[in-house]
Amino acid sequence: MSFVIVQVRDLVMRLPSGGRALTILDGVTLGVSAGEVCAVTGPSGSGKSTLLGLIAGLDRPTAGSIEVAGVELTRLGEDALARFRRETLGYVFQSFHLIPSLTAAENVAVPLEIVGVPDAPARARTLLAEVGLAARAHHHPAQLSGGEQQRVALARAVALGPRLLLADEPTGNLDSATGTQIIELLLRLNRERGSTLLLVTHDEALARHAGRVLRLRDGRLLNGGAR
Amino acid sequence: MIGTPARFALRMAWRETRGAWRHFVAFFLCVALGVAALVSVGTLAANLDATLGREARALTGGDLELRSAQPLGADAERALDGLRREGAATAVVSELAGMARNPARGSSLLVELKAVDAGYPLYGHVETSPAAPLGVLLAGRAGAAGALVAPELLERLGLGVGDALLLGGGRFTIAGILRREPDRATGFVTLGPRVLLAAPALATTGLLQTGSRVRYRTLVRLPEGASPRAGLERLARLVADPSVRVTAYDAAQPGLRRFFGQLASYLGLVGLASLLVGGIGVAASVATFVRRQLPTIAVLKCLGASRRLLVLTYLVQMLGLAIAGSLAGAAAGVLVQPALIRALAPFAPFALVPALDGATVVRGVLMGTLAALLCALWPLLAVAAVPPSLILRSDVEAGGWQARRPWAAALPIVAGLAALALWQAGSPRLGAIFVGASLAALVLLAALARAVVAVAHRLPRPRGLAWRHGLAGLRRPGGHAARVIVALGLGVMLLVAIALLEGNLGRQVALERKHEAPSFFFIDVQGDQRAAFGRLLAERAGTAPPLTPVVRARVGAINGVPVTRELIDRRTAQAPDKVWYLTREYVLTQAEEPPSANRITRGRWWTREDATRRARVSMEEEAARYLGVDVGGTLTFDVQGVPVDAEVMSLRKVDWQSLSMNFFAILSPGALDAAPATYIATARVPAAAETGLQDSVVAAFPNVTAVPLRAVLERVARVLDQIAFAVRFMALFSIAAGLTVMAGALAATRYQRLYESVILRTLGATRGAVARAFAVEYACLGAAAGLGGTALAAVLAWVVLRFVLDVPWALEPDTLAWGVAGTTMLALGVGFLGTFRLLGRKPLPVLRRE
Repeated sequence: MSFVIVQVRDLVMRLPSGGRALTILDGVTLGVSAGEVCAVTGPSGSGKSTLLGLIAGLDRPTAGSIEVAGVELTRLGEDALARFRRETLGYVFQSFHLIPSLTAAENVAVPLEIVGVPDAPARARTLLAEVGLAARAHHHPAQLSGGEQQRVALARAVALGPRLLLADEPTGNLDSATGTQIIELLLRLNRERGSTLLLVTHDEALARHAGRVLRLRDGRLLNGGAR
Repeated sequence: MIGTPARFALRMAWRETRGAWRHFVAFFLCVALGVAALVSVGTLAANLDATLGREARALTGGDLELRSAQPLGADAERALDGLRREGAATAVVSELAGMARNPARGSSLLVELKAVDAGYPLYGHVETSPAAPLGVLLAGRAGAAGALVAPELLERLGLGVGDALLLGGGRFTIAGILRREPDRATGFVTLGPRVLLAAPALATTGLLQTGSRVRYRTLVRLPEGASPRAGLERLARLVADPSVRVTAYDAAQPGLRRFFGQLASYLGLVGLASLLVGGIGVAASVATFVRRQLPTIAVLKCLGASRRLLVLTYLVQMLGLAIAGSLAGAAAGVLVQPALIRALAPFAPFALVPALDGATVVRGVLMGTLAALLCALWPLLAVAAVPPSLILRSDVEAGGWQARRPWAAALPIVAGLAALALWQAGSPRLGAIFVGASLAALVLLAALARAVVAVAHRLPRPRGLAWRHGLAGLRRPGGHAARVIVALGLGVMLLVAIALLEGNLGRQVALERKHEAPSFFFIDVQGDQRAAFGRLLAERAGTAPPLTPVVRARVGAINGVPVTRELIDRRTAQAPDKVWYLTREYVLTQAEEPPSANRITRGRWWTREDATRRARVSMEEEAARYLGVDVGGTLTFDVQGVPVDAEVMSLRKVDWQSLSMNFFAILSPGALDAAPATYIATARVPAAAETGLQDSVVAAFPNVTAVPLRAVLERVARVLDQIAFAVRFMALFSIAAGLTVMAGALAATRYQRLYESVILRTLGATRGAVARAFAVEYACLGAAAGLGGTALAAVLAWVVLRFVLDVPWALEPDTLAWGVAGTTMLALGVGFLGTFRLLGRKPLPVLRRE
């Protein structure tokens, strides 16, 4: 039996909305084994992105526990969470979230520079070549197509060799042909690095690439997610 | 070797600046303007100080100076003989006012005469044209002694070099033009053009009579290696008469030093105000930048950047920008030197050369950098609080997230800025006043801004599109209204306050407004000239004015305690700018009735019996307070060696601004009967008759000095103008900083405006209608800043006039109206420049981008 890298228990997330508390996640329990490719699907507003964000430690749950790579996230402070993220995971967003003032290469170099990798620029260029963008290294995000921007974001997400890759609707802003290329690239990068991929999508075709599909509706998992 | 965080911070800071330099133009300009203001004043002050130090001997005229109202006594001469035997050189200079006349036309002019002996000058040299030895020029030719005159005299009297000139009763030949005297005594306001003549020739003028006001200066150049300090102590010991002031060159010109010191310090505060206004721009610019950076900050946190790393990154960025802005400002401050020097040149008795002062530049750059960092810190600390989950929300819109105010940092930031203000002000008191006034102005303007926004919110919705959208625009997220009103309001406050001060002071020196003031003071009328003088005036001016007897005297003892050199030294150490109450020559008069313009504040006026019993004196209250006498005390006046004891019977408040005949000390009738008196008189004639009256009086009585008040006041007004120019010059920096803040605020709301204008136009509004809506918003901002700034200016000007200058306050409605209207126009202008291009944008591309 393989090692469980993500263990979420009884996760509840409520957010204030118009003076009332809106329940986004309602008692979610799930486990993801190391090396697994797992997809979470559900209609929009079902709480998928919030679940992924909580696993990345981007926000604090109302109740429940989240253990990633043996670390209980709910006990960490903000800066410890930042450290945890750079040591453990890579994150791919639906809308890419590249830093507009930086070139493609500089965007990829940012995580490397934060931890002080000595040859960050060279490593960033290698990573860009790996995603097929060697020629676009000096372009700014505004000069790149959506697909190209997402490739840069992928290169940035895997730059520090994370054990866990989180992808939030990575093809949501792309046409289907480009989306297919991106998902293939994502799966390849994940496979080559032996990392774990947790993918959020509402696209059933994309979900079929995953070894296991969890369905979320109204903040609850329909099929058991526990490991 | 720098660590990983620092390396990352440096790299990111550079990349962010590179990508967003346009955003930082306002930041950069705000810092640069403030530093330019500080460095320009500082450089000038350093330059003045260095020149004063370097030229101190020439400015004094010697290593030592003995100054007195009477020729030196035997003890002083003996002491000087001793010094001369040891190798010292001396020169005697006598200075007095007198009348010059063109013998051909009879036109006359009040001049400042300076008679010098053969030893003069001991240091420096007198610049003349033609350039020739002083002795040769002053010797004259054809039986008439030579006189060197200021160019203004030639112009006013219609004379040229080589022409004859009458000075008092003496005839002179104009030997050349006097360009510069090394030791020109620096009253900032001179009574008239300067005239230089030889000491022996002064006697021929007949101006040295009983009661004439002469300043005798004996200059000493010590032999090589002798200590001026030792020489000073020796002279002070040997010269018994305490009315003889002995000074060494390094302590001389205290008035000049004080004047420049104070001017530099006030100008420095005006400069500091520019930096303060700039600081608002810096804070606003950083706040806008942080809002724009929210997604980037959230992404960086997602990628594992800690709060500290991010704050460090942006601090490094702001530090770099602050240093760059400060350096540019320092360069600008040095470059504007020639303009400032030109403004102040008339005050300086020496040539000022624009010079670079390293310490001032370093200080300015440091001040600008620290102030900018402190102002940037408040909005920057919000970076730490940006939640990384912001990235999860689909709209990471600027308006969506509101940072908590880092109140804990407010106190250190304000304390830091206050410390900078104290550093610049140089005195804790001045600094504290500046900090207090700035804080009050900031708080009041911020409150006004809030009120304006709140009122705009509560007003019933106007029907017109322009008003509805214009007023709604005041409530844009990001608080741009507050920034503009506070920053622009501060600038307006300074400029309008200066205009109000100028207006009020100008009123003081405008003769037309002084209904009581005479056209002339006639002084030095001798006893035997009284009848003829009265007849002449009756004939030329219509009435024979009363002739008031005056006697020159100094205070010999207070309540029986003699005024000695030790006492004077002690009091000088306590309050150097007031010691003249003790050392000055008083003009005494005697009177039966109190002057109508004076008010008795203590005691009572004398009756005839009081006056017959003993000599009484009524003192001006400020003088009495300094001298330490009250009603019942005694003052002993030394009237040319003869002591006159008088009991203080009343204290008076004198309105010196009335410009009528006023006295510090008035004695009871009979007290001065034995003293050698001269007479003074005043006359008021229509402006057109002034020249004729002066010429005929001077022709008939060459020894009588006619002081034309109009001309003297015009000279005062010119000096005020020059000072005002320098102050206005500095205040312009704050206005420029205020407008930069406004332009920055407009730039920050540019996208919103673009979007609004596009939506409105899509819905059918014309460009004109959209422009009117923006105009309403800008006009409201300008009017609010104008109203607030002008109201504060009125308060500031009132405080300065009432408590610093002691000048009556008059509301200047024109200036106030201009303050409001001008600011509104300015805001409309800057707003229009900032937005007119938006109106031309096609709606579809903008909407598609949304």
